[in-house]
Amino acid sequence: MAAVQSSRPLAARLQATRKTRSGIIMVLCIVAAALGLIALALILGALLWSGFSSLSPAVFTQMTPPPGSSGGLLNAIFGSLVMTSFGVLLGAPLGLFAGTYMAEYGHGSKLTLVVRFINDILLSAPSIVIGLFVYEIAVVPLGHFSALAGSLALALLVVPVVVRTTEDMLNLVPGPLREAASALGLPRWLVIRFVAYKAARAGLITGLLLAVARVSGETAPLLFTALNNQFWSTDLNKPMASLPVVIFQFAMSPYKEWQQLAWVGALLITLAVLALSITARILGAQRTSQ
Amino acid sequence: MTNVVSSQQAPASLEKFPEKMTVRNLDFFYGDNRALKSVNVPLYANLATAFIGPSGCGKSTLLRVFNRMYDLYPGQRAAGEVLLDGENILDPGLDVNGLRARVGMVFQKPTPFPMSIYENIAFGVRLYEKLGKAEMDERVEKALRGAAIWGEVKDKLQASGLSLSGGQQQRLCIARTVAIQPEVILFDEPCSALDPISTAKVEELIDELRNEYTIAIVTHNMQQAVRVSQYTAFMYLGELVEFGDTDKVFTAPTERRTQDYITGRFG
Repeated sequence: MAAVQSSRPLAARLQATRKTRSGIIMVLCIVAAALGLIALALILGALLWSGFSSLSPAVFTQMTPPPGSSGGLLNAIFGSLVMTSFGVLLGAPLGLFAGTYMAEYGHGSKLTLVVRFINDILLSAPSIVIGLFVYEIAVVPLGHFSALAGSLALALLVVPVVVRTTEDMLNLVPGPLREAASALGLPRWLVIRFVAYKAARAGLITGLLLAVARVSGETAPLLFTALNNQFWSTDLNKPMASLPVVIFQFAMSPYKEWQQLAWVGALLITLAVLALSITARILGAQRTSQ
Repeated sequence: MTNVVSSQQAPASLEKFPEKMTVRNLDFFYGDNRALKSVNVPLYANLATAFIGPSGCGKSTLLRVFNRMYDLYPGQRAAGEVLLDGENILDPGLDVNGLRARVGMVFQKPTPFPMSIYENIAFGVRLYEKLGKAEMDERVEKALRGAAIWGEVKDKLQASGLSLSGGQQQRLCIARTVAIQPEVILFDEPCSALDPISTAKVEELIDELRNEYTIAIVTHNMQQAVRVSQYTAFMYLGELVEFGDTDKVFTAPTERRTQDYITGRFG
Protein backbone atom coordinates (compact mmCIF):
# COMPACT_ATOMS: atom_id res chain seq x y z
CA MET A 1 0.00 0.00 0.00
CA ALA A 2 2.73 2.43 0.97
CA ALA A 3 4.46 1.93 -2.34
CA VAL A 4 1.26 2.61 -4.24
CA GLN A 5 0.55 5.78 -2.28
CA SER A 6 4.03 7.22 -2.71
CA SER A 7 4.06 6.56 -6.42
CA ARG A 8 0.63 8.18 -6.89
CA PRO A 9 0.41 11.13 -4.49
CA LEU A 10 -2.66 12.71 -6.06
CA ALA A 11 -4.65 9.49 -5.85
CA ALA A 12 -3.64 9.09 -2.22
CA ARG A 13 -4.72 12.62 -1.36
CA LEU A 14 -8.07 12.20 -3.11
CA GLN A 15 -8.56 8.91 -1.33
CA ALA A 16 -7.92 10.58 2.03
CA THR A 17 -10.41 13.39 1.30
CA ARG A 18 -13.02 10.87 0.27
CA LYS A 19 -12.45 8.87 3.43
CA THR A 20 -12.91 11.94 5.62
CA ARG A 21 -16.06 12.94 3.76
CA SER A 22 -17.43 9.43 3.99
CA GLY A 23 -16.71 9.44 7.72
CA ILE A 24 -18.56 12.72 8.32
CA ILE A 25 -21.61 11.65 6.33
CA MET A 26 -21.65 8.30 8.09
CA VAL A 27 -21.68 10.00 11.51
CA LEU A 28 -24.53 12.30 10.40
CA CYS A 29 -26.52 9.29 9.19
CA ILE A 30 -26.01 7.46 12.46
CA VAL A 31 -27.07 10.52 14.47
CA ALA A 32 -30.21 10.94 12.35
CA ALA A 33 -31.11 7.28 12.70
CA ALA A 34 -30.45 7.37 16.43
CA LEU A 35 -32.65 10.46 16.91
CA GLY A 36 -35.51 8.77 15.08
CA LEU A 37 -35.12 5.58 17.03
CA ILE A 38 -34.82 7.36 20.39
CA ALA A 39 -38.04 9.30 19.73
CA LEU A 40 -39.79 6.08 18.79
CA ALA A 41 -38.42 4.25 21.82
CA LEU A 42 -39.50 7.04 24.17
CA ILE A 43 -43.02 7.07 22.75
CA LEU A 44 -43.32 3.29 22.90
CA GLY A 45 -41.76 3.22 26.38
CA ALA A 46 -44.21 5.78 27.75
CA LEU A 47 -47.06 3.96 26.05
CA LEU A 48 -46.10 0.56 27.43
CA TRP A 49 -45.38 1.95 30.90
CA SER A 50 -48.60 3.89 31.29
CA GLY A 51 -50.74 1.51 29.27
CA PHE A 52 -49.78 -1.71 31.01
CA SER A 53 -50.02 -0.20 34.46
CA SER A 54 -53.69 0.62 33.86
CA LEU A 55 -54.57 -2.53 31.98
CA SER A 56 -57.16 -4.58 33.85
CA PRO A 57 -59.95 -7.03 33.03
CA ALA A 58 -62.43 -4.20 33.51
CA VAL A 59 -61.11 -2.62 30.31
CA PHE A 60 -62.61 -5.50 28.31
CA THR A 61 -65.82 -5.90 30.32
CA GLN A 62 -67.06 -2.40 31.17
CA MET A 63 -68.28 0.55 29.14
CA THR A 64 -66.58 3.92 28.94
CA PRO A 65 -67.32 5.66 32.25
CA PRO A 66 -68.71 9.10 32.97
CA PRO A 67 -66.14 11.54 34.33
CA GLY A 68 -64.85 10.74 37.78
CA SER A 69 -65.76 7.05 37.91
CA SER A 70 -63.99 3.90 36.76
CA GLY A 71 -64.92 1.84 33.72
CA GLY A 72 -63.56 0.12 30.63
CA LEU A 73 -63.36 0.39 26.87
CA LEU A 74 -65.63 -2.45 25.77
CA ASN A 75 -67.96 -0.30 23.65
CA ALA A 76 -65.00 1.46 22.02
CA ILE A 77 -63.17 -1.80 21.26
CA PHE A 78 -66.35 -3.27 19.81
CA GLY A 79 -67.02 -0.12 17.81
CA SER A 80 -63.52 -0.10 16.36
CA LEU A 81 -63.78 -3.77 15.39
CA VAL A 82 -67.20 -3.29 13.78
CA MET A 83 -66.37 -0.14 11.83
CA THR A 84 -62.95 -1.37 10.72
CA SER A 85 -64.49 -4.67 9.56
CA PHE A 86 -67.28 -2.97 7.65
CA GLY A 87 -64.86 -0.45 6.24
CA VAL A 88 -62.63 -3.23 4.93
CA LEU A 89 -65.60 -5.27 3.68
CA LEU A 90 -66.80 -2.25 1.70
CA GLY A 91 -63.45 -0.93 0.54
CA ALA A 92 -61.34 -4.02 -0.11
CA PRO A 93 -63.43 -5.61 -2.91
CA LEU A 94 -63.67 -2.26 -4.67
CA GLY A 95 -59.92 -1.77 -4.40
CA LEU A 96 -59.24 -5.34 -5.49
CA PHE A 97 -61.41 -5.02 -8.59
CA ALA A 98 -60.00 -1.62 -9.52
CA GLY A 99 -56.43 -2.86 -9.07
CA THR A 100 -57.22 -5.96 -11.13
CA TYR A 101 -58.59 -3.82 -13.93
CA MET A 102 -55.50 -1.64 -13.92
CA ALA A 103 -53.01 -4.51 -13.95
CA GLU A 104 -54.83 -7.06 -16.09
CA TYR A 105 -57.27 -5.41 -18.47
CA GLY A 106 -56.27 -1.79 -18.75
CA HIS A 107 -52.52 -2.24 -18.46
CA GLY A 108 -50.92 0.89 -19.90
CA SER A 109 -54.24 2.40 -21.03
CA LYS A 110 -55.21 6.04 -20.54
CA LEU A 111 -57.95 5.17 -18.07
CA THR A 112 -55.44 3.27 -15.95
CA LEU A 113 -53.10 6.25 -15.90
CA VAL A 114 -55.91 8.56 -14.81
CA VAL A 115 -57.18 6.15 -12.15
CA ARG A 116 -53.65 5.62 -10.81
CA PHE A 117 -53.07 9.37 -10.62
CA ILE A 118 -56.32 10.01 -8.76
CA ASN A 119 -55.70 7.02 -6.55
CA ASP A 120 -52.29 8.39 -5.55
CA ILE A 121 -53.91 11.67 -4.58
CA LEU A 122 -56.50 9.80 -2.54
CA LEU A 123 -53.72 7.77 -0.94
CA SER A 124 -52.06 10.87 0.44
CA ALA A 125 -55.21 12.92 1.10
CA PRO A 126 -55.52 14.01 4.74
CA SER A 127 -58.03 11.70 6.39
CA ILE A 128 -59.90 14.65 7.88
CA VAL A 129 -60.87 15.63 4.32
CA ILE A 130 -62.34 12.18 3.81
CA GLY A 131 -64.19 12.61 7.09
CA LEU A 132 -65.68 15.93 5.98
CA PHE A 133 -66.64 14.46 2.63
CA VAL A 134 -68.54 11.59 4.21
CA TYR A 135 -70.07 14.05 6.69
CA GLU A 136 -71.51 15.94 3.75
CA ILE A 137 -72.83 12.92 1.88
CA ALA A 138 -73.87 10.55 4.68
CA VAL A 139 -74.36 12.53 7.87
CA VAL A 140 -75.98 15.80 6.80
CA PRO A 141 -78.66 14.21 4.54
CA LEU A 142 -79.63 11.68 7.24
CA GLY A 143 -79.51 14.29 9.96
CA HIS A 144 -77.48 12.19 12.43
CA PHE A 145 -74.11 10.59 13.00
CA SER A 146 -73.90 6.84 12.46
CA ALA A 147 -71.55 3.87 12.55
CA LEU A 148 -72.42 3.29 8.91
CA ALA A 149 -71.05 6.71 7.96
CA GLY A 150 -67.93 5.88 9.99
CA SER A 151 -67.49 2.61 8.08
CA LEU A 152 -67.94 4.46 4.81
CA ALA A 153 -65.20 6.93 5.73
CA LEU A 154 -62.84 4.10 6.66
CA ALA A 155 -63.74 2.28 3.42
CA LEU A 156 -62.66 5.33 1.44
CA LEU A 157 -59.30 5.13 3.19
CA VAL A 158 -58.99 1.40 2.50
CA VAL A 159 -59.69 1.68 -1.24
CA PRO A 160 -56.54 3.52 -2.39
CA VAL A 161 -54.22 1.30 -0.34
CA VAL A 162 -55.74 -1.87 -1.75
CA VAL A 163 -55.83 -0.50 -5.30
CA ARG A 164 -52.14 0.30 -5.11
CA THR A 165 -50.98 -3.01 -3.67
CA THR A 166 -53.27 -5.05 -5.92
CA GLU A 167 -51.95 -3.37 -9.04
CA ASP A 168 -48.33 -3.61 -7.91
CA MET A 169 -48.60 -7.24 -6.87
CA LEU A 170 -50.38 -8.33 -10.05
CA ASN A 171 -47.78 -6.50 -12.13
CA LEU A 172 -45.14 -8.61 -10.39
CA VAL A 173 -46.75 -11.83 -11.64
CA PRO A 174 -44.55 -12.88 -14.56
CA GLY A 175 -46.15 -12.50 -17.99
CA PRO A 176 -45.08 -16.01 -19.09
CA LEU A 177 -47.17 -17.46 -16.28
CA ARG A 178 -50.27 -15.79 -17.71
CA GLU A 179 -49.30 -16.93 -21.20
CA ALA A 180 -48.83 -20.48 -19.95
CA ALA A 181 -52.30 -20.44 -18.45
CA SER A 182 -53.79 -18.97 -21.63
CA ALA A 183 -51.97 -21.62 -23.65
CA LEU A 184 -54.03 -24.26 -21.84
CA GLY A 185 -57.12 -22.57 -23.22
CA LEU A 186 -58.13 -20.71 -20.06
CA PRO A 187 -60.31 -17.67 -20.64
CA ARG A 188 -58.94 -14.41 -19.26
CA TRP A 189 -61.00 -14.28 -16.10
CA LEU A 190 -59.97 -17.78 -15.09
CA VAL A 191 -56.32 -16.94 -15.72
CA ILE A 192 -56.68 -14.00 -13.35
CA ARG A 193 -58.69 -15.87 -10.75
CA PHE A 194 -56.74 -19.09 -10.57
CA VAL A 195 -53.25 -18.17 -11.66
CA ALA A 196 -52.57 -14.44 -11.20
CA TYR A 197 -54.37 -14.13 -7.85
CA LYS A 198 -52.75 -17.33 -6.63
CA ALA A 199 -49.29 -16.18 -7.58
CA ALA A 200 -49.87 -12.78 -5.98
CA ARG A 201 -51.79 -14.07 -2.95
CA ALA A 202 -49.23 -13.27 -0.25
CA GLY A 203 -48.80 -9.74 -1.57
CA LEU A 204 -52.55 -9.15 -1.83
CA ILE A 205 -53.11 -10.26 1.76
CA THR A 206 -50.20 -8.12 2.91
CA GLY A 207 -51.79 -5.09 1.24
CA LEU A 208 -55.09 -5.81 2.92
CA LEU A 209 -53.46 -6.11 6.35
CA LEU A 210 -51.61 -2.85 5.84
CA ALA A 211 -54.89 -1.19 4.91
CA VAL A 212 -56.48 -2.49 8.11
CA ALA A 213 -53.50 -1.27 10.10
CA ARG A 214 -53.80 2.13 8.48
CA VAL A 215 -57.50 2.67 9.19
CA SER A 216 -57.61 1.14 12.67
CA GLY A 217 -55.84 4.18 14.09
CA GLU A 218 -57.79 6.84 12.20
CA THR A 219 -59.52 9.44 14.36
CA ALA A 220 -60.38 12.37 12.16
CA PRO A 221 -62.72 10.62 9.72
CA LEU A 222 -64.63 9.04 12.60
CA LEU A 223 -65.04 12.32 14.50
CA PHE A 224 -67.19 13.66 11.69
CA THR A 225 -69.10 10.48 10.97
CA ALA A 226 -69.56 7.98 13.80
CA LEU A 227 -68.89 10.58 16.50
CA ASN A 228 -68.84 8.74 19.81
CA ASN A 229 -71.17 6.87 22.10
CA GLN A 230 -70.75 6.45 25.80
CA PHE A 231 -73.00 3.43 25.89
CA TRP A 232 -73.11 -0.03 24.41
CA SER A 233 -74.61 0.18 20.94
CA THR A 234 -74.74 -2.31 18.09
CA ASP A 235 -76.99 -0.19 15.91
CA LEU A 236 -75.15 0.77 12.75
CA ASN A 237 -77.56 3.64 12.25
CA LYS A 238 -76.59 5.28 15.53
CA PRO A 239 -73.39 6.95 16.71
CA MET A 240 -70.80 4.43 17.81
CA ALA A 241 -67.73 4.64 20.02
CA SER A 242 -64.29 3.77 18.68
CA LEU A 243 -60.87 3.53 20.28
CA PRO A 244 -59.22 6.45 18.46
CA VAL A 245 -62.07 8.86 19.17
CA VAL A 246 -62.30 7.75 22.81
CA ILE A 247 -58.54 8.23 23.16
CA PHE A 248 -58.88 11.68 21.63
CA GLN A 249 -61.66 12.64 24.00
CA PHE A 250 -60.24 11.04 27.16
CA ALA A 251 -56.65 12.13 26.70
CA MET A 252 -57.69 15.78 26.40
CA SER A 253 -59.86 15.60 29.54
CA PRO A 254 -58.77 16.71 33.00
CA TYR A 255 -60.00 13.46 34.62
CA LYS A 256 -57.41 10.98 35.86
CA GLU A 257 -59.52 7.85 35.11
CA TRP A 258 -60.17 8.98 31.55
CA GLN A 259 -56.51 9.70 30.94
CA GLN A 260 -55.60 6.23 32.22
CA LEU A 261 -58.12 4.64 29.83
CA ALA A 262 -56.73 6.69 26.96
CA TRP A 263 -53.30 5.18 27.59
CA VAL A 264 -54.77 1.68 27.60
CA GLY A 265 -56.65 2.38 24.38
CA ALA A 266 -53.50 3.64 22.70
CA LEU A 267 -51.66 0.53 23.86
CA LEU A 268 -54.37 -1.76 22.45
CA ILE A 269 -54.33 -0.06 19.04
CA THR A 270 -50.54 -0.13 18.92
CA LEU A 271 -50.43 -3.83 19.77
CA ALA A 272 -53.09 -4.62 17.15
CA VAL A 273 -51.24 -2.68 14.45
CA LEU A 274 -47.97 -4.30 15.49
CA ALA A 275 -49.54 -7.76 15.17
CA LEU A 276 -50.90 -6.88 11.71
CA SER A 277 -47.56 -5.49 10.55
CA ILE A 278 -45.67 -8.57 11.74
CA THR A 279 -48.14 -10.83 9.97
CA ALA A 280 -47.77 -8.74 6.82
CA ARG A 281 -43.98 -8.97 7.10
CA ILE A 282 -44.04 -12.73 7.51
CA LEU A 283 -46.31 -13.13 4.49
CA GLY A 284 -44.07 -10.78 2.51
CA ALA A 285 -41.01 -12.84 3.42
CA GLN A 286 -42.78 -15.99 2.27
CA ARG A 287 -43.44 -14.35 -1.05
CA THR A 288 -39.82 -13.43 -1.65
CA SER A 289 -38.59 -16.87 -0.62
CA GLN A 290 -40.78 -18.41 -3.31
CA MET B 1 -21.01 -33.24 -43.96
CA THR B 2 -21.82 -36.33 -45.90
CA ASN B 3 -25.13 -37.63 -47.05
CA VAL B 4 -24.84 -40.87 -45.11
CA VAL B 5 -27.36 -39.75 -42.52
CA SER B 6 -30.01 -38.74 -44.96
CA SER B 7 -29.78 -42.00 -46.84
CA GLN B 8 -30.69 -43.89 -43.66
CA GLN B 9 -34.07 -42.24 -43.62
CA ALA B 10 -35.54 -42.09 -47.05
CA PRO B 11 -37.44 -38.79 -47.47
CA ALA B 12 -40.05 -40.61 -49.49
CA SER B 13 -41.17 -42.50 -46.40
CA LEU B 14 -42.06 -39.25 -44.70
CA GLU B 15 -44.48 -38.19 -47.33
CA LYS B 16 -47.24 -40.48 -46.19
CA PHE B 17 -47.80 -38.23 -43.17
CA PRO B 18 -50.72 -35.85 -43.75
CA GLU B 19 -50.43 -32.12 -43.20
CA LYS B 20 -51.79 -31.34 -39.74
CA MET B 21 -51.26 -27.61 -40.04
CA THR B 22 -50.58 -25.52 -43.11
CA VAL B 23 -49.33 -21.96 -43.18
CA ARG B 24 -50.22 -20.03 -46.34
CA ASN B 25 -48.94 -16.56 -47.21
CA LEU B 26 -48.72 -15.57 -43.57
CA ASP B 27 -47.78 -12.00 -42.70
CA PHE B 28 -47.42 -10.86 -39.13
CA PHE B 29 -47.27 -7.35 -37.73
CA TYR B 30 -46.12 -5.89 -34.44
CA GLY B 31 -47.84 -2.56 -34.92
CA ASP B 32 -46.43 -1.37 -38.25
CA ASN B 33 -43.42 -3.63 -38.12
CA ARG B 34 -43.79 -6.59 -40.47
CA ALA B 35 -42.17 -9.50 -38.64
CA LEU B 36 -43.24 -12.33 -40.97
CA LYS B 37 -43.25 -12.05 -44.75
CA SER B 38 -45.43 -14.39 -46.81
CA VAL B 39 -44.47 -17.50 -44.90
CA ASN B 40 -45.58 -20.86 -46.29
CA VAL B 41 -44.87 -24.01 -44.33
CA PRO B 42 -46.59 -27.29 -43.42
CA LEU B 43 -46.55 -29.19 -40.12
CA TYR B 44 -46.84 -32.91 -40.81
CA ALA B 45 -48.81 -35.08 -38.42
CA ASN B 46 -46.74 -37.21 -36.06
CA LEU B 47 -43.53 -35.56 -37.12
CA ALA B 48 -41.43 -32.92 -35.45
CA THR B 49 -40.71 -29.76 -37.40
CA ALA B 50 -37.85 -27.60 -36.16
CA PHE B 51 -37.69 -23.86 -36.74
CA ILE B 52 -34.16 -22.49 -36.72
CA GLY B 53 -32.63 -19.12 -37.48
CA PRO B 54 -30.85 -16.22 -35.81
CA SER B 55 -32.51 -14.19 -33.04
CA GLY B 56 -35.26 -11.96 -34.33
CA CYS B 57 -35.85 -14.01 -37.49
CA GLY B 58 -39.51 -14.57 -36.57
CA LYS B 59 -39.44 -18.21 -35.56
CA SER B 60 -41.01 -17.63 -32.14
CA THR B 61 -43.47 -15.21 -33.70
CA LEU B 62 -44.55 -17.92 -36.13
CA LEU B 63 -44.95 -20.42 -33.30
CA ARG B 64 -47.13 -17.98 -31.41
CA VAL B 65 -49.44 -17.72 -34.42
CA PHE B 66 -50.14 -21.47 -34.29
CA ASN B 67 -52.09 -21.07 -31.03
CA ARG B 68 -52.93 -17.38 -31.51
CA MET B 69 -50.93 -16.45 -28.43
CA TYR B 70 -50.43 -13.04 -29.99
CA ASP B 71 -54.15 -12.36 -29.39
CA LEU B 72 -53.25 -11.48 -25.80
CA TYR B 73 -51.50 -8.37 -26.99
CA PRO B 74 -53.22 -5.49 -28.72
CA GLY B 75 -51.36 -4.17 -31.74
CA GLN B 76 -50.23 -7.59 -32.95
CA ARG B 77 -52.01 -9.11 -35.92
CA ALA B 78 -51.63 -11.81 -38.51
CA ALA B 79 -52.80 -11.88 -42.13
CA GLY B 80 -52.95 -14.89 -44.38
CA GLU B 81 -54.09 -18.43 -43.63
CA VAL B 82 -53.12 -21.01 -41.04
CA LEU B 83 -55.08 -24.21 -41.49
CA LEU B 84 -55.58 -26.78 -38.74
CA ASP B 85 -57.17 -29.86 -40.29
CA GLY B 86 -58.33 -27.62 -43.11
CA GLU B 87 -59.92 -24.96 -40.89
CA ASN B 88 -58.45 -21.45 -40.88
CA ILE B 89 -57.48 -20.64 -37.30
CA LEU B 90 -56.98 -16.97 -38.11
CA ASP B 91 -60.73 -16.64 -38.63
CA PRO B 92 -61.78 -13.87 -36.19
CA GLY B 93 -64.86 -15.85 -35.19
CA LEU B 94 -62.83 -18.83 -34.05
CA ASP B 95 -63.02 -19.93 -30.40
CA VAL B 96 -59.44 -19.16 -29.39
CA ASN B 97 -59.63 -21.09 -26.13
CA GLY B 98 -60.87 -24.13 -28.01
CA LEU B 99 -57.95 -23.75 -30.41
CA ARG B 100 -55.48 -23.60 -27.53
CA ALA B 101 -56.93 -26.79 -26.11
CA ARG B 102 -56.04 -28.47 -29.42
CA VAL B 103 -52.69 -26.75 -29.87
CA GLY B 104 -50.68 -26.85 -26.65
CA MET B 105 -47.54 -24.88 -25.93
CA VAL B 106 -44.43 -25.37 -23.81
CA PHE B 107 -42.43 -22.23 -23.05
CA GLN B 108 -38.79 -21.28 -22.89
CA LYS B 109 -38.74 -20.91 -19.13
CA PRO B 110 -40.55 -23.50 -17.04
CA THR B 111 -43.82 -21.95 -15.83
CA PRO B 112 -45.37 -24.19 -13.20
CA PHE B 113 -48.49 -22.67 -11.64
CA PRO B 114 -48.24 -21.70 -7.97
CA MET B 115 -50.05 -24.84 -6.81
CA SER B 116 -49.30 -28.49 -6.06
CA ILE B 117 -47.81 -30.83 -8.64
CA TYR B 118 -51.11 -32.72 -8.81
CA GLU B 119 -53.13 -29.52 -9.23
CA ASN B 120 -50.79 -28.26 -11.94
CA ILE B 121 -52.02 -31.17 -14.08
CA ALA B 122 -55.61 -31.50 -12.83
CA PHE B 123 -56.32 -27.79 -13.14
CA GLY B 124 -56.24 -27.77 -16.94
CA VAL B 125 -58.07 -31.08 -17.27
CA ARG B 126 -60.98 -29.81 -15.16
CA LEU B 127 -61.59 -27.08 -17.72
CA TYR B 128 -62.62 -29.57 -20.34
CA GLU B 129 -63.76 -32.70 -18.55
CA LYS B 130 -65.63 -33.67 -15.42
CA LEU B 131 -63.69 -36.57 -13.99
CA GLY B 132 -64.17 -38.48 -10.74
CA LYS B 133 -61.38 -38.65 -8.20
CA ALA B 134 -60.10 -42.04 -9.43
CA GLU B 135 -60.24 -41.05 -13.09
CA MET B 136 -58.47 -37.79 -12.37
CA ASP B 137 -55.74 -39.61 -10.41
CA GLU B 138 -55.33 -41.88 -13.38
CA ARG B 139 -55.15 -38.99 -15.82
CA VAL B 140 -52.58 -37.15 -13.71
CA GLU B 141 -50.45 -40.28 -13.45
CA LYS B 142 -50.70 -40.91 -17.17
CA ALA B 143 -49.68 -37.34 -17.98
CA LEU B 144 -46.76 -37.43 -15.55
CA ARG B 145 -45.64 -40.80 -16.95
CA GLY B 146 -46.00 -39.42 -20.45
CA ALA B 147 -43.66 -36.60 -19.52
CA ALA B 148 -41.15 -39.00 -17.94
CA ILE B 149 -41.38 -37.41 -14.52
CA TRP B 150 -43.73 -39.77 -12.67
CA GLY B 151 -40.93 -41.65 -10.92
CA GLU B 152 -39.49 -38.45 -9.50
CA VAL B 153 -42.71 -36.93 -8.18
CA LYS B 154 -45.07 -39.83 -7.41
CA ASP B 155 -44.36 -39.60 -3.67
CA LYS B 156 -44.82 -35.84 -3.42
CA LEU B 157 -47.79 -35.00 -5.63
CA GLN B 158 -49.04 -32.51 -3.03
CA ALA B 159 -45.74 -30.60 -2.95
CA SER B 160 -45.63 -27.24 -4.71
CA GLY B 161 -44.76 -27.33 -8.39
CA LEU B 162 -42.26 -24.59 -7.65
CA SER B 163 -40.25 -26.91 -5.39
CA LEU B 164 -39.02 -28.96 -8.37
CA SER B 165 -35.76 -28.40 -10.20
CA GLY B 166 -35.77 -26.49 -13.49
CA GLY B 167 -35.67 -29.63 -15.63
CA GLN B 168 -38.42 -31.26 -13.58
CA GLN B 169 -40.52 -28.11 -13.79
CA GLN B 170 -40.20 -28.13 -17.56
CA ARG B 171 -41.31 -31.77 -17.74
CA LEU B 172 -44.19 -30.91 -15.39
CA CYS B 173 -45.21 -28.22 -17.88
CA ILE B 174 -45.04 -30.77 -20.69
CA ALA B 175 -47.19 -33.13 -18.60
CA ARG B 176 -49.68 -30.34 -18.03
CA THR B 177 -49.88 -29.72 -21.77
CA VAL B 178 -50.20 -33.43 -22.59
CA ALA B 179 -52.90 -33.93 -19.95
CA ILE B 180 -55.52 -31.96 -21.81
CA GLN B 181 -54.90 -34.18 -24.85
CA PRO B 182 -54.01 -31.68 -27.54
CA GLU B 183 -53.31 -32.60 -31.15
CA VAL B 184 -50.33 -30.34 -31.74
CA ILE B 185 -47.64 -29.35 -29.23
CA LEU B 186 -45.53 -26.25 -29.76
CA PHE B 187 -42.15 -26.02 -28.04
CA ASP B 188 -40.58 -22.56 -27.79
CA GLU B 189 -36.90 -23.19 -27.03
CA PRO B 190 -37.91 -25.67 -24.34
CA CYS B 191 -34.35 -26.51 -23.27
CA SER B 192 -32.66 -23.13 -23.30
CA ALA B 193 -33.00 -22.78 -19.52
CA LEU B 194 -32.01 -26.38 -18.76
CA ASP B 195 -28.77 -28.20 -18.01
CA PRO B 196 -27.48 -30.86 -20.46
CA ILE B 197 -28.93 -33.85 -18.58
CA SER B 198 -32.40 -32.29 -18.34
CA THR B 199 -32.08 -31.26 -21.98
CA ALA B 200 -31.39 -34.85 -23.01
CA LYS B 201 -34.44 -36.02 -21.09
CA VAL B 202 -36.71 -33.42 -22.65
CA GLU B 203 -35.37 -34.18 -26.15
CA GLU B 204 -35.99 -37.88 -25.66
CA LEU B 205 -39.48 -37.02 -24.51
CA ILE B 206 -40.20 -34.88 -27.55
CA ASP B 207 -39.19 -37.78 -29.76
CA GLU B 208 -41.62 -40.08 -27.94
CA LEU B 209 -44.45 -37.55 -28.00
CA ARG B 210 -44.20 -37.55 -31.77
CA ASN B 211 -46.04 -40.89 -31.84
CA GLU B 212 -49.22 -39.23 -30.63
CA TYR B 213 -48.84 -35.56 -31.42
CA THR B 214 -47.69 -33.20 -34.12
CA ILE B 215 -44.66 -31.31 -32.88
CA ALA B 216 -43.25 -27.89 -33.74
CA ILE B 217 -40.09 -26.79 -31.98
CA VAL B 218 -38.22 -23.51 -32.07
CA THR B 219 -34.58 -23.89 -31.16
CA HIS B 220 -31.33 -21.99 -31.23
CA ASN B 221 -29.43 -25.18 -30.93
CA MET B 222 -28.80 -26.75 -34.33
CA GLN B 223 -27.69 -30.09 -32.91
CA GLN B 224 -31.00 -30.19 -31.10
CA ALA B 225 -32.87 -29.60 -34.33
CA VAL B 226 -30.97 -32.51 -35.91
CA ARG B 227 -31.66 -34.76 -32.92
CA VAL B 228 -35.39 -34.19 -32.52
CA SER B 229 -36.84 -33.14 -35.83
CA GLN B 230 -37.69 -34.78 -39.14
CA TYR B 231 -38.32 -31.53 -40.95
CA THR B 232 -36.49 -28.25 -40.55
CA ALA B 233 -37.47 -24.74 -41.53
CA PHE B 234 -34.75 -22.10 -41.68
CA MET B 235 -35.96 -18.56 -41.19
CA TYR B 236 -34.13 -15.30 -41.69
CA LEU B 237 -35.38 -11.71 -41.30
CA GLY B 238 -39.02 -12.78 -41.25
CA GLU B 239 -38.79 -14.97 -44.32
CA LEU B 240 -38.88 -18.70 -44.56
CA VAL B 241 -35.70 -19.34 -46.49
CA GLU B 242 -35.66 -23.08 -46.69
CA PHE B 243 -37.89 -25.93 -45.63
CA GLY B 244 -37.17 -29.60 -46.02
CA ASP B 245 -36.08 -32.92 -44.63
CA THR B 246 -33.89 -32.15 -41.60
CA ASP B 247 -31.01 -34.28 -42.86
CA LYS B 248 -31.09 -32.56 -46.19
CA VAL B 249 -31.28 -29.04 -44.75
CA PHE B 250 -28.27 -29.71 -42.59
CA THR B 251 -26.17 -31.64 -45.06
CA ALA B 252 -27.10 -30.29 -48.47
CA PRO B 253 -29.00 -27.02 -48.14
CA THR B 254 -30.14 -25.53 -51.41
CA GLU B 255 -30.00 -21.93 -50.22
CA ARG B 256 -26.79 -20.03 -49.69
CA ARG B 257 -28.13 -18.29 -46.54
CA THR B 258 -29.00 -21.63 -44.95
CA GLN B 259 -25.54 -22.92 -45.65
CA ASP B 260 -23.99 -19.78 -44.12
CA TYR B 261 -26.11 -20.09 -41.00
CA ILE B 262 -25.58 -23.76 -40.29
CA THR B 263 -21.86 -23.45 -40.86
CA GLY B 264 -21.79 -20.54 -38.42
CA ARG B 265 -20.88 -17.80 -40.85
CA PHE B 266 -23.55 -15.53 -39.42
CA GLY B 267 -26.26 -15.71 -36.80
